[in-house]
Order: sequence, then structure tokens, then C-alpha cells
Amino acid sequence: MPTEPRSDTGGAVVSAILIGVACLVIWDSMSYMDKDSAVFPRTFAGVLIVASAAYIVKWLLGRGEAGPGADTGSLPRRVLLVGIMLGGTMAMPWIGFIGAALPVFAALTLVAMYDPWTRFRVLVYPLIGIAIVLGFFYLFREVLQVPLPTGDLFDS
Amino acid sequence: MAGLEHLLAALTPINLAFALFGVVAGTVIGAIPGLTATMSVAVLVPLTFAMPTSSALILMGAIYTGAIYGGAYSAILLNTPGTPSAIATTFDGYPLAKKGDGDYAITIACLASVIGGLVGALALMTLAPPLSQVALAFGSVEYFWLAIFGLSLIAALSEGSLLKGVAGGALGLLLSCIGVAEVAGDVRLTFGLQTLLSGIQIVAALIGLYCIPVLIDLVAQPGHHLQVDSGSRGFRLGEAVRYLWGDKINTIRSAVIGTVVGILPGAGGSIASLVSYSEARRTAKPGQAYGKGEPGGIIASESANNATVGGGFIPTLVLGIPGTPPDAVILGALLVQGVRTGPSLFTNQGEIVYTFIWGLILATILMLPTGLFIGRYAYRTIITLPKALLVPAIAFMTIIGSYAIRNNISDVIIMIVLGGLGWIIGRFGFTASPIVLGLILGPIAESGFVQAWTIGTATDDRFGMFFGRPISIAIIVFTLFTLLSPLVLARLQKIKEQAHAD
Repeated sequence: MPTEPRSDTGGAVVSAILIGVACLVIWDSMSYMDKDSAVFPRTFAGVLIVASAAYIVKWLLGRGEAGPGADTGSLPRRVLLVGIMLGGTMAMPWIGFIGAALPVFAALTLVAMYDPWTRFRVLVYPLIGIAIVLGFFYLFREVLQVPLPTGDLFDS
Repeated sequence: MAGLEHLLAALTPINLAFALFGVVAGTVIGAIPGLTATMSVAVLVPLTFAMPTSSALILMGAIYTGAIYGGAYSAILLNTPGTPSAIATTFDGYPLAKKGDGDYAITIACLASVIGGLVGALALMTLAPPLSQVALAFGSVEYFWLAIFGLSLIAALSEGSLLKGVAGGALGLLLSCIGVAEVAGDVRLTFGLQTLLSGIQIVAALIGLYCIPVLIDLVAQPGHHLQVDSGSRGFRLGEAVRYLWGDKINTIRSAVIGTVVGILPGAGGSIASLVSYSEARRTAKPGQAYGKGEPGGIIASESANNATVGGGFIPTLVLGIPGTPPDAVILGALLVQGVRTGPSLFTNQGEIVYTFIWGLILATILMLPTGLFIGRYAYRTIITLPKALLVPAIAFMTIIGSYAIRNNISDVIIMIVLGGLGWIIGRFGFTASPIVLGLILGPIAESGFVQAWTIGTATDDRFGMFFGRPISIAIIVFTLFTLLSPLVLARLQKIKEQAHAD
């Protein structure tokens, strides 16, 4: 029985999730036509199960090793950052690269803004954002010949 | 052999201009997350078709060497390896930058890159034919053991908990299995999702796992991204030179490792930098804190990855087997130019080859002033740019960079999702580096393992296949030594301390 208070419950929860992921891998590997395709994922799913289970046992014995934990800071801004990036990327095939990149840049500027909005910032920041987006658009599309999405909505 | 006439041929104003342009263009492209050295060479190759062969080679070599170095900027300043070769540069480069020594880290990286690049180029000039035989001695099983040796670095990279590091490494190996299996063609671990069908692109995953968590933390709080020091401190060149001189064994050893790994087809700069980082960490002097901003970590990574440039050209030119992916592109360009690679290249077309090698040496030397100058500009930009512009600019670069690798929106989505998940599990001590290590080494380990297993089965000697070949045995012994020596040394130290106490 543990004699010390259990630390790093989050680490144990992640370990349990990883065991679930490893089981999913083993289940998926049962459907492969060629057994050579299954050897590697099964082996390392096994390693993942053993390492994660060993960590849970360690945690149960009160010897968990806590990670850095959540530092202070704005959770809504964090979530917004990921959401805006993801939303903009998913919208790109429909509204095109520029159509998605400019609103994403503007939204992320608002999310990352901690200083007061002065007249200078209101005027200059959008201009810099437009310059960066258009500059990279030109570099990738014209110089590097990357076929950036044009947007299904505008293709007719 | 590599006489003065070839040096003079390389020293023409036009060749020098190409070398300078190549280094600058390569450095800038390599610094952008997602734009790899392969891509920078591939994009600029068409420019070389109308050029004289030696000038074309000099330009391509300069772009390549510049791009490998350029990857260090974003690794140090943004915790995002600009190219996969710079992955180990993040381990100490970013912590050093966070302490306010980003300028120093960039200068160290520049000096180490120049030294590594010169060692690789000199090996190419003097030892190419004998060293090319190393590439032929490596079979599938040796690649498997080399990947396992790389994975042993997990022990060193696991901050806090080794078990979490092992779990992270296994997770990375499983992530590398997603998509169509290279060996047998089965569709694996996609669970019906089209997005996962093309697998996880390594560079996109690197950007996600390293850069997105930095962005997530950056946006959450006011204040500067990196610690800002008041006043100008110049390039801090003297300080960096003194450090490199004090750590010269690490510098040279890493360059030699980079050269040898560069010779192995398919291994590349990422493995070279990881192996040399592992060695630097294993042989750390007391007081050196690798993983917490130790300049020796940057030296190991940057010296090794730039040495792969010269090393990779050895099998490319002597055997016609590209040592690294950019070498494959350059090999294609050489064929267009009518150059016949092979053992006789150095005698039949010595004029072209030695002029190119001198050009590569000149480009590497040119990297010192240009690298220091561009690095200083990049550092000043990062520390002075307001957060409200820095965050969207980096986020935008990660999106466009991930997309450009395969022109695939799925890669961008995977990059962002992996980054978010990486940030969450990172809070609980599951760090990104072991996962990335598994992702990078997974394909090499798997194809080596399955091929060796198949050959072993066909010859009815699986044990001999895996454990009976001399190079395999050497790598296994070295792996065990790397894993066990810290434990044995710690034990001996404890016994010694107990004896003193008694």
C-alpha cells in the first residue's frame, strides 16, 4: 500500500490513455493482410503498454514524477490560438489561401495583443500583417512554385 | 590531386558570387520552418541547368550548406528546427536563448557549422574513394541497429522520468507507422480517416511538436518571447571562439560523426546530429548541463549536421548513391549536366570535382560572415518584434511551411493537432523530444528490421543476421555502452564516496 501521497495524477491518466492507444494499435494490426506490416506496430505497442503500466504502478506506489504542470496564463487565449489556426486551415480549401490567411493573421494579432491599441498600432499592425501574408504568398506561389489553395468557392 | 589550379578555378568572381548567393539563399530558406534543405536545393536547381558544371555544383553545394546552417536560427530562437537536421540544436539552443543568450547561441552555431562543414569537405577531398566503401558495408540490419542506437538517446532526453521518455519514444514509433506501410503496403492506423492516409510528415510533425507549444505559451502571457538584454554585445565572437577551443574534442568528434553518418545513404543530418549530441552528452564534463542551455549541445548538433554535406557527397560522387536527400536532387542535376558519377569521376573529371570541392570549402568559409550577419538580424527581429505581430507571423509560417512540404492541407491539420496534444501531454512530463526521435527513426528502424528479418528467415539464420555481422556487433556494443556507462559511472562514484565516508 502506498505510504506517500500520490503525486502526478495527470501523468498516470496520460499513461492510462496511452495504454488505450496501444490497445487500439494492436486491434488495428489484426486486420493487416501481411504479417510483416504488423510486427513493428505490435512490438512498440507492447513497449508503450509496458512503460505506461510501469509508470502507473510507480504512481500507485507514491513515486510519480510530476511534469512542469500548467503555468499561469490565459487558457482562453491558448484555446483561441489553436482554434483559429485549425479553423483557418480547414477553411483554406474553400476560401483560398489569402482569404483564410488574412483573417487568421488579424485574429491572432487580437489574441496576442496585450498592449493598448494606439493610433499607430491600429494603422501599422494591419499593414505589416498584409505585407507578411502577401510577401509569403508571392514567395511560395511565384518563386517556390507551391500551388497554394485558390478556394473552391471562387473556382467556377 | 586537389591542386592550386582547382582552387584558382573556384576563386573566379562568378563562382564566388554563386557561392555567396547560394549561402545567403540557403540560410534564409533553411531558417523558415518547413522549408528543408532538400526543398531549397530542389527549388533552385533549375537555375543551374544553363551554367558551367563546376559553377552549378558550387551553387548547389552552397545552397545546401547554407540551408543546413539556416535551420539553426529557428531552432535556437523559436524552438522549431528549420530543417530536421537542426532537431538536436533545439535541445540546448532554445534554453540558451531563453536565458538571454540567443546571440551567443547563434554565433556558436555558426562557428560549429563552419568547422563541421570544413571537416566534411576536406574528407570529401582527401578520403572520398576509401570512405565510400563504408556506405557499401552497411546493410539493412546495420541501419536497424543504427536507428536503435539513435533511440538510446531517449534515456538522455527523458527529463524527469525515463518511463515517460520510453513511452513517448514508443508513441513516436507508432505515429511513424500511420499511413501506407512501406514494406508490405497495408494501410495502418488510419481508422478510416482520409487525413491520415498519407501518414505523418516528419517536418510537419517537428513543427507541430516543437513550435505550437511555444506559441501556445507565448500567447498566454504578456512580456517578451526571449529575455532581452540591454545594450549591444556585438557578435560575441571572441567568447564563442574561446568556448569552441575549450570544447574542441566535442567539435571535431561531432564533425567526424557527421561525415561518417553523411556517407550512409538515407541516414542524413538529423541522425548525425542526434548521434553526436548523444555522444557529447555522454562525455559531458562535470558542470556541463546538457538540455538546459549548454553550448556544447549546439556545437555537437551543428558541427555534425554541416559535416554531413561533405560526407553525403562521398557516396554521391564516388558510387552514384546519394548520401542524403538533397544529394539525390544534386545527383539528378549532375546527370542533366552530363557528369558521370562513379569511382573514375575523380580521375576522369577531376577538374570539375576538385573545383566543386574547393567551391564548397569557400562557401563554407563565406558562411561565417554571412551567417553571423543574418543571425544577428534574425535575433534582433525576434527580440524586438511585438508579441501581437510575432505570434501571428510564426503561426502563419508554420501553416504555410507545413503545407508546402507536400502541398497538402492534411499535413497542416496534423501539425496543429499534434502541437496541441504535445502541449497537453508536455504538462504532465511527456516531452516532445522522445516522440520526435521515434517519429524520425521509426521508418529507418522498421524497414531495416523487416528486411533483415526476411533475409534471416530466407537464409534460416535470423540470429546471425541480427547479431552476427561485425558492424552490427560494434553498434550494439556502442549502444549498450552509451546506455550503461552513466549507470556504471554513477555506481562507481557512489562506492567511492562511501569509501571516503568510511
